[in-house]
Amino acid sequence: MTDGRLLANDHVKQASGQGQRRRHPARGRRFAFHTWSSAGARSSSTAGVVGLAGATGALLLVLALVHITQGTSGIGAGDLLALATGTPNAEAWNVLVASRLPRLSAGLIVGIALGVAGAAFQSLVRNTLASPDTLGVNAGAYLAITLAAALGLSLPVLPSGALAFLGGLAAAGFVMVLAAGGASGPTRLILAGSATALALGSFTTLLLLLFEEETKGLYAWGSGSLVQADLSASVQMAPILLLGTVAMVALGHRLDLLALGDDKASVLGLRVGRTRIVVTMLAVLLTAAAVTVAGPVGFVGLCAPAIVRLLAPVVPGLMRHRVLLPMSGLAGAIIVLGADVGLRALLGNQSGVDVPTGVVTSMVGAVALVALARRHRDSGPTRQPPAARTRTARGTLWFWLVLGLALAGVVGAAIAGALLGDTLLLTGDLANWLAGVAGPRVLFVLDERLPRVAAALLAGTALAVAGVTVQAVCRNPLAEPGILGITAGAGVGAVTLLTLAPMAGVWLMSSAAGAGALVAFVLVYGLSWRAGLSSDRLVLIGIGVSAGFAALTTLIIVASDPWNTAKALTWLSGSTYGRSFEQLMPLVIALVVLAPLAGVVRRELDLLALDDDVPRVLGVRLERTRLLALVGSAVLTATAVSAIGVVGFVGLVAPHAARALVGGRHARVLPVAAALGALLVSLADTIGRWVIAPAQIPAGLLTALIGTPYFVWLLWRSRMTT
Amino acid sequence: MTVSRTSHKPRALTRRSLAAACLSACVALTLAACGTTEDPVTSSGPKSTPKQSSDEKITLVDARGKEVVLDGPAERVVALEWSEVEDLVTLGVMPVGVADVKGYSTWVKSAPLDDSVQDVGTRQEPSVDAVVSLQPDLVIMEGGRGLPIEQLEKTAPVLVIKGSDSTRNIEQMKHNFTLIAQAVGKEDTAKQILSEFDAKLADAKEQIAAAGLAGAGFAMADGWMEGSQVSIRMFAKGSLVSDLAEAIGLVNAWPEKGDAEWGLGVTDVEGLIRLGDVHFFYSASEDDVFAGKEGLANNAIWKSLPFVKAGQVHKLEDGTWTFGGPRSCMHIVDQFVRTLTT
Repeated sequence: MTDGRLLANDHVKQASGQGQRRRHPARGRRFAFHTWSSAGARSSSTAGVVGLAGATGALLLVLALVHITQGTSGIGAGDLLALATGTPNAEAWNVLVASRLPRLSAGLIVGIALGVAGAAFQSLVRNTLASPDTLGVNAGAYLAITLAAALGLSLPVLPSGALAFLGGLAAAGFVMVLAAGGASGPTRLILAGSATALALGSFTTLLLLLFEEETKGLYAWGSGSLVQADLSASVQMAPILLLGTVAMVALGHRLDLLALGDDKASVLGLRVGRTRIVVTMLAVLLTAAAVTVAGPVGFVGLCAPAIVRLLAPVVPGLMRHRVLLPMSGLAGAIIVLGADVGLRALLGNQSGVDVPTGVVTSMVGAVALVALARRHRDSGPTRQPPAARTRTARGTLWFWLVLGLALAGVVGAAIAGALLGDTLLLTGDLANWLAGVAGPRVLFVLDERLPRVAAALLAGTALAVAGVTVQAVCRNPLAEPGILGITAGAGVGAVTLLTLAPMAGVWLMSSAAGAGALVAFVLVYGLSWRAGLSSDRLVLIGIGVSAGFAALTTLIIVASDPWNTAKALTWLSGSTYGRSFEQLMPLVIALVVLAPLAGVVRRELDLLALDDDVPRVLGVRLERTRLLALVGSAVLTATAVSAIGVVGFVGLVAPHAARALVGGRHARVLPVAAALGALLVSLADTIGRWVIAPAQIPAGLLTALIGTPYFVWLLWRSRMTT
Repeated sequence: MTVSRTSHKPRALTRRSLAAACLSACVALTLAACGTTEDPVTSSGPKSTPKQSSDEKITLVDARGKEVVLDGPAERVVALEWSEVEDLVTLGVMPVGVADVKGYSTWVKSAPLDDSVQDVGTRQEPSVDAVVSLQPDLVIMEGGRGLPIEQLEKTAPVLVIKGSDSTRNIEQMKHNFTLIAQAVGKEDTAKQILSEFDAKLADAKEQIAAAGLAGAGFAMADGWMEGSQVSIRMFAKGSLVSDLAEAIGLVNAWPEKGDAEWGLGVTDVEGLIRLGDVHFFYSASEDDVFAGKEGLANNAIWKSLPFVKAGQVHKLEDGTWTFGGPRSCMHIVDQFVRTLTT
């Protein structure tokens, strides 16, 4: 074994030398580890690494020192300094020990754990965009903890951590299997992870909604916070952190080998499967430790290794895992402490308890994700993004049959929506209502219910049409208003307006949502444009912008109206509650104008979906059509958001299903997708109003819960066929 | 070749599932068809039966500034927020429907409901169906919740209440109580209870002064735990509890401002240092963050706080609602006086 390892190390060095010039073959295709130390530069690289480690450590020390001077009591740097020089001050001592140090150690644990875990995940799947967030591990761990709390279990730190570990492990395993361990490319992995995280997050929100006491504010709504009761959680998690990190570093050389590709690594004597399993377990363990201490603090695991990797060209030797992993841990700690220090320096010490740290790191992380994605190389024209395979054109009869059935489904959903709910009605009641002879009770019930049914149907249609259009124009079956951040942008616009002018009418609100949507769209489109629009880049940047805007929405609500759960529900998960027909007018107008327009340009959409050349040759004004189509989609999305709040995944799932059923021609996809979108949101809304009546589940949560499994199934199926 | 094999499978699946969905939809529709849950209204009959009591119409101006006209004292009342529920029960009018009955029973014990009260869903999104099916003659709710007021108004008059105003919380509480009393025709009872309330405040003030506690520092908090995280919610100046305490001669020692509506703010254990030597009250009808085993009990700061050392930490009885009406307020004042003077 020892011999084999030595041999293996030699090979690493040789391979490393070549790595700079040649890209890794096969699996490493889209994998951005570009810098390797060459064997000859060993001594200089050691010096560089030591220097960097020293500098990082010094920075972390400075941050930590500033960090402990910040807090909600008056104890500042002066008091602590006096304490350090030997002046006895019981109060300062207590504050240091029972508040500042617990917060500092929580920050350190979270940062280091997520940094190391992020780096490990990235090496494991050979993908710089992997992280505990984008693989759903954070969400899985947090769901497990929330589930225990919902069941009334009040667990001590360690069992709670064990539960988080199991939850995280399940999520990681699921996502990795879905994305074939990352071998199928980054976009697919991130999508599978983001979708899984979304579904898990929706489920967590649902549990919080159903089981948690309402008097809790949004603070308890799972954004990750460093406020600690005492040192005990940190003390109990520190050995796990240490164990996980040391074990991971000890496995560093195996990760070095793994980076060469599975085949090479196994030729060099590495047991690839076993290594993967062990490293995954360790990374999940570290993530679980972080989630147990502070809840889901977002995007640290993504940023930390990214920053280290940015330094790799300057500091040779940094990419060896025995260096990379601990350095990522340090970088993670710097991010978390930096976010905490920066927030409080900027907004005052009270903000340290007002604003969850996870919100800040998510915003920082979103920027990092966007920056990373901008560097993302396009995978070339031959690559088919993961999608439901497009059905080849089939008979007109089949199309009409599908459309007819889908429309029948919509009618059925509408009728079911009208009949089901807290009060169950029968079709005879509807008939009476139509005939204008309904009794007062039926009249009242339908008065409240029908606008909601209509809101769900219309918003579903609008999101689906917007989805089809965006997908065609971006030439990417994964682009959709939700993933591209347009929905989240509209949400930020609407929430901002609501905060500034609570009494604003529906038109103003739609305009604000529209403005937000357009800003998000311009941002995503502009950032993705680098001498052409790479579909992968677009999606990845969209996910980043989307996460950033979601964090911004949380921030706005927490800062302005922290005790208003109803507001949080609508703008963080989407709900048809309390809609009236007047509120749907902007949406109706947008649909009446824009949906037929999409139908008119169906041929152009067909052409746009091919490539850039064909439409030009055929005289389509490419940029103009593209811009108009995207602006139209943004307007549709914005009006849908102003009607039912932020609902994701409809624009993705409906067009996918439509294409799977009737092929890729937009004349066919558009109507079928519209019907399926309406069907999906309507079903989600009806189920939400019905199953736990008189209490209700917001439609957006159920859309995610219904939509995500379908999406996951799509990914799974395309995994088998590629 | 893999492609050709799998390309048939989903098709069959899709077709079959489509057919199944269609079939089940048809069956469901057929089963549900033809029935009605309510007889149609014949054109000759009256559309509804308004009370023949127009001579005693009650006109109220609610928090929207809107005139709400009732045909007479409301008898079947649905209340969608706990403070208003408590007001009704205090006035001797048992509501027919309440949002989150279970939660109310845990958190608001000053004015218990009887078994006849129906649950109409959560406080965030109460079920309009449930409200309507109770055929109320008045619905009382708090504004700013996204509730479908206009739709409810087709069923019954809707009285919108401003739940809290951190610039004048006791006045707001009295105003709300009086408004609700007018709506249910219990103004005399209301006057009596409010004078009882005023007398209680005056009496409490005297007792506090007699105990030498006039101007003594006071703080009120609640809180919750999530894993190892502790959130402490402070009742800042302007919150209802703070106004009550200050009305009887205590001084709220919490230096931060609360939010504009409720007068609440958050802090961590370290922030409590700024309170100094106070009488620290807290409510915890579920988890006890302050004295519970898992909470702050072993925290060095907490243990060293002057009011903790002096044994001046007082838990309000379970089910003391800190955002309630006169009954809850009197209950709180009673507890303040009892704790501080004995």
